[in-house]
Amino acid sequence: MVVTDSSDSGTILRVRGPLEFKCQLDSTDARLMQKVISRTFATLHSQVKSESCVLTVCDSSLIIWPNKGVYVTPEEITPNTLCEDIHQWIQTDEQESAGKRSSKKKNKKSSAASVINLRLMMEVTKTGPLSAPILRRTLQKSHFLSTTLPMDCVVRTTCSDTIKDAFERLLEALTHQLCEMEKVTLQHMKGATLLVPEPLHFLLPEPKGLVTVVYPVGVPDSQLETHRKELHQQFELPDDWPYFRRANAFHFSNEPYKDGYLRNPHVVLTHPTLDNGKVYLVQGIYSYHHYMQDHMDDNGWGCAYRSLQTICSWFTQQGYVERAVPTHREIQQTLVDVGDKQGSFVGSRQWIGSIEVQVVLNQLLEVTSKIMFVSQGSELASKGRELANHFLTEGTPIMIGGGVLAHTILGVAWSETTGQIRYLILDPHYTGAEDLQVITDKGWCGWKGPDFWDQTAYYNLCLPQRPKVI
Amino acid sequence: MLWRDVCLNCVNRKQVQSQACYLDRDFVVMATRTPPREETPAGNPVDKEWVSEHARQVSRMLPGGLSVLGVFIITDTEAKDTLTTLRQLVFAMESLVSSEQLWSPAEDDVSDCVALHVNRKTRKTFCRTFDVKDPKSTAKPADWRYQAGVCSSWSMVSCCLHVDLLVPLPDNKTDPENMDKCLKEELRGWAQRLESGVCLMDGRKLAEDAELPGGQKRNVRQTYTAQILVTPSEQRLADEEQRCGGSVSIRGAVHSRAYLHSNKPKARLAQKLLKRDAVATVTTRVQMLLEELLTSEDENKSSSKQKRELFCLPHRVFCPLKASGPLCVCDYQFSDESVCEVTERLKEMLDIDAAEEDLDSSQEAPGEITEREVGAEPTVETVVALEPKRNSFIGVAMATAVALLATAASMLYLNDV
Repeated sequence: MVVTDSSDSGTILRVRGPLEFKCQLDSTDARLMQKVISRTFATLHSQVKSESCVLTVCDSSLIIWPNKGVYVTPEEITPNTLCEDIHQWIQTDEQESAGKRSSKKKNKKSSAASVINLRLMMEVTKTGPLSAPILRRTLQKSHFLSTTLPMDCVVRTTCSDTIKDAFERLLEALTHQLCEMEKVTLQHMKGATLLVPEPLHFLLPEPKGLVTVVYPVGVPDSQLETHRKELHQQFELPDDWPYFRRANAFHFSNEPYKDGYLRNPHVVLTHPTLDNGKVYLVQGIYSYHHYMQDHMDDNGWGCAYRSLQTICSWFTQQGYVERAVPTHREIQQTLVDVGDKQGSFVGSRQWIGSIEVQVVLNQLLEVTSKIMFVSQGSELASKGRELANHFLTEGTPIMIGGGVLAHTILGVAWSETTGQIRYLILDPHYTGAEDLQVITDKGWCGWKGPDFWDQTAYYNLCLPQRPKVI
Repeated sequence: MLWRDVCLNCVNRKQVQSQACYLDRDFVVMATRTPPREETPAGNPVDKEWVSEHARQVSRMLPGGLSVLGVFIITDTEAKDTLTTLRQLVFAMESLVSSEQLWSPAEDDVSDCVALHVNRKTRKTFCRTFDVKDPKSTAKPADWRYQAGVCSSWSMVSCCLHVDLLVPLPDNKTDPENMDKCLKEELRGWAQRLESGVCLMDGRKLAEDAELPGGQKRNVRQTYTAQILVTPSEQRLADEEQRCGGSVSIRGAVHSRAYLHSNKPKARLAQKLLKRDAVATVTTRVQMLLEELLTSEDENKSSSKQKRELFCLPHRVFCPLKASGPLCVCDYQFSDESVCEVTERLKEMLDIDAAEEDLDSSQEAPGEITEREVGAEPTVETVVALEPKRNSFIGVAMATAVALLATAASMLYLNDV
């Protein structure tokens, strides 16, 4: 495991690149096979430590040879240049992604550490003259293994780190990762089949920061529990949050999600400051589900379904379940299967409420939920403590249904002394496109006051309970 | 009516990107006569296969930036009578030459080939071009102009490229033909990786549209050293595991170079030509070796299949085109050949009179068989010495006819003397 030091707003250097892994296994004897594999890894070690190893900074003309005294081109940059100056050489896109504020200058500081992406490459040219090629033909019945190791290392730098410091650490990280990959490969070998060792990064609570773990591709999370237990012990982490499940791998901001849903739109909001108040938010990641998505026209009746989808997405994203977010039809079918509804329910446009949400969560995801009932909307103002506790201990999104509407509560801002309260609401009634700017500007995801609720209607809240597993 | 000695032009393509076709210019740096075939009696129609084979051999001897441009014929007949033949020749030749090329064609590749007819009596030239990408293309008129000083403003880009390939051979199919197939596949992948690799010129990464620096002085030859950085193909993330009957590896280095006709060549063009030369030089040598293996294994049917065999690929030798010009052609010398065999081939294929001292063998060292695999069981590694049995183009000179043609042909050499 590589642990990156955490310090306030440094720069993260991330290097990725494939390394070719090719070898011939002559015999099926396990020990001999292991020797060949270790030997192949040794070749890769020497490749990474050789002068041909090159790291290029993406979107720039910067190229660094870490094993040649950290030689840099172009020559305006030297190994003693500060790492954070690399930013000035990177060409950013003129067009910002949808929803960000109008672009400011390139050196805009954000609260999160910025990431510099690097590519691992090999220089194939050398200074000649060298010997002309030799062709070697080997006749031997054997197994030929060929795969690509997806190297992915992360190093966190402080503002005083020079390029030399940072790149020497990067090289150590690459070497270390090769060792980890070798361990994992040998551990999970089945006969002559190799599983690709895949590095993933996990964000642990400060001050631990980003940690890289290598898992074998194809082995499900359920079979890796021992590995995760060791990690929890090593990092002294509580046993009730799945920090190291694959789904919880850290998502770098420059990688768009393939499914097109927005993740955690609430993070761009400014949270309210109340006198002696604190903000209690949903933990982890969820995706925003709302009307009209997935070519499903559920305008006017599907709000609770969408809220349920948002909650399901939370459990998937955190790695508690490995199923996709259920469709309206699947939700309805589940309710029929448990006997809660008649068969005709499937395909209908009937509403559901928090009880149905609880049932489906239980049936499909094996998640239990608590139900909170308020006889009138005005009472919600006094539920600050319960809601705060929920977000502290469970951290899951809450579905709230009442009157004729359903919403999702993602957090509360509550003052114990003054009793002031605000609710962070994710509104499933939005019918537009996944435009973060619109969604936040128009309040589809936003902070609301106690008057948001219908003061006389009664409300049921479904509070999903987080399974205490790793 | 003599349909004799159809010749080939070796030219450099100047990639002039412009709207109007008439601004495109190709520079012919050399015209080479196809050696006469032994058995062809006089009066026979032009032998397409022979000419194409000559073209193939010649194109193997051209470094990057130079390529076989087309065909010319010197004859008594009228131009219109030879046009069809020339057209057939051009297409046949281009098809054979491009079948050896493992890189993917680029959109900005110029695909026009030249057919030139010279009337021996009147000395009149008749020049047409054909677009070889279009089988239905018709002859387009082109201007044939003599120009002095063509060779003085060439730039050269070069590098020494390390090759390290390992390919499995299928079970029970370890003969040279299968080796050829497997190696071609692997070389194609390697060519793609090179193509998408980053190219530095004199240590800097340049934008594609940028011009290579330097080139201020007119008659100073610009040379650039390139560096190429690659990543293994991302597409091969799927792991492969296969039973194999053996493997082939190619390890070593090649000297690759490309000539650019310009004071200020564009980085993009320089990269493309250099990378293509790299692919071509490795492919050519592998082809040559496999051709030898095929003939030698055919003859020794009872050859004991040694467990491990090492073969040296031939190394590259350069020969300047003219004493003053910077352009060189090249040839490949097997480790057991002598330098005079190289000069003989240069004479035969390209009609160049080169002395041994003119040749430059310093760019590559002959392959050395000193490597041993770490931890391998000590086996007897046989080094197979191959006797080159190349198709000889020894033509019997037919005195008078050739002398006439030689005089006529010399008019066409664009000598910068």
